[in-house]
Amino acid sequence: MSHSNTIQVIVSAIHQVTPLIKHFVLRAADGNPLPAFSGGSHIIVVMRGGNRVYRNPYSLLSSPNELESYEIGVRRGDPSRGGSVFMHDQVHVGMTLEIAHPVNLFQRDKLARKHVLLAGGIGITPFIAMMEDLRSGAVPYELHYSVRAPEHAAFKDRLTERHGDRVTLYYDSAKQFMDIEGLLARQPLGTHVYVCGPAPMIERVIQSARAAGWAESHIHWEQFNAPPVGEAFDVELAKSGITVTVPPDQSLLEAIEGAGVDAPYLCRGGVCGACKTKVVAVDGTLVHHDHYLSADEKASGAFIMPCVSRATGTKLVLDL
Amino acid sequence: MLITGIKSKPVYTPLAPDVVGHTHLLVGFGVGGDPLLRLVSELAGSGSTRSSRQLYYVSDPALTPASTSAIESADAGVIKLYTDTQALLTDFRATLEQSIMGTRLYVAGPEAFMGLVMRIAAEFNLNRDEIRAEECGSQARRVHCIHCRAQTENVRTNIVKCVGCQRWLVVRDHYSKRLAAYMGVNIDAEVPGELPPIQEVFV
Repeated sequence: MSHSNTIQVIVSAIHQVTPLIKHFVLRAADGNPLPAFSGGSHIIVVMRGGNRVYRNPYSLLSSPNELESYEIGVRRGDPSRGGSVFMHDQVHVGMTLEIAHPVNLFQRDKLARKHVLLAGGIGITPFIAMMEDLRSGAVPYELHYSVRAPEHAAFKDRLTERHGDRVTLYYDSAKQFMDIEGLLARQPLGTHVYVCGPAPMIERVIQSARAAGWAESHIHWEQFNAPPVGEAFDVELAKSGITVTVPPDQSLLEAIEGAGVDAPYLCRGGVCGACKTKVVAVDGTLVHHDHYLSADEKASGAFIMPCVSRATGTKLVLDL
Repeated sequence: MLITGIKSKPVYTPLAPDVVGHTHLLVGFGVGGDPLLRLVSELAGSGSTRSSRQLYYVSDPALTPASTSAIESADAGVIKLYTDTQALLTDFRATLEQSIMGTRLYVAGPEAFMGLVMRIAAEFNLNRDEIRAEECGSQARRVHCIHCRAQTENVRTNIVKCVGCQRWLVVRDHYSKRLAAYMGVNIDAEVPGELPPIQEVFV
């Protein structure tokens, strides 16, 4: 299920919307409408920077009703592995980029009786598109959007114009903090909560929802882990019969792709499970960073998610 | 049965407390009272001070009054007894309107009763991980005629005459949660009156 069928797009506009976030508008190079998607979807942007290929997931924030262009918001990563810095520094209007078809791993529940959306920082992006879907429906929804300070509130005007008082903003700088526990304590039956933001926020929402008695099927979250850096290690691909060195700042998946092996993937963030790969042999330790494998699977050492996970030691053999 | 092995046939399991929830709604009919009484004491013993229990129960005239009085003295904040399923369903719906996230539903009794309860729960988007159901009592089925859409209650045989259009229907294992009924399909369309043996299979 890898994306051999990518779409060529042209960057038609770039806006610096906050000190750290750039907003990109992409149109199909062939002038046709882009593939339909639902709110919460992401695309993979393929960036060819020098001798290195980056493939980063970005949520689509444009309206699912308008397919003339896709819009994404990119936050400049602090110790970036390169992808977001490439988007910020190298990408200019008129440039051609390659993207993979939209995939939705953060869908709204279509039978919900109410939606509570919780965003932190750049985590706002999937909700902008999702709220376009919700806007035309009869199901109540509300967005709680937390940022460091007013100048960091990306897409605030668009949100308040389109959704009015369904949007509540919180500025850390003004000591306004989301009362997550309070928000989740008294919601009507059939409410679903969705969270996208920094890892501690996601964790707190999940824990608070559980503490308030929420069943798991009503708790939704999305977090794209950038592949963590680590020590270099070698990986042997058993089926392909080659050995590849994974450098410290590249993911296992990127190194495998760099060697010309077409490995499966969808989210590139350790959540979807598409890249789950059998470990044939390991002499050392698997360093799991994904949110997909169960604790038992991780402990067994039988599988690895190459999009975010790594290994240490002298030998890793994968069934690829 | 003629048509079996269909995945939509519900699977039920003995009731057990889900202590993540804080409000526990227990709904039962007839012999379903026994598992609910067992569950009430398990929930009460699970120790969470902020959890509450509500019990809604339709008594079955065939059972001795003793079982009803056991329900009346159960360890629950709300206990409501009914002699009529519709009255229970009306109250149950009103309760769900007022309920908040963190509610769990436990149902016990014959499937034909539980289906009606769970159909209302589905309107409130109570999902599988918020509902537990234990089947007990009669296995008689509610059969939905796919031709005229009439529902025939209390079906005990593999083949039944539809109360609506009078067609002979074979009762499938194909269950609709939305209709709370099994599908019945005309069995003698080609040669009217030519029927396989009619047997009592849902006792």
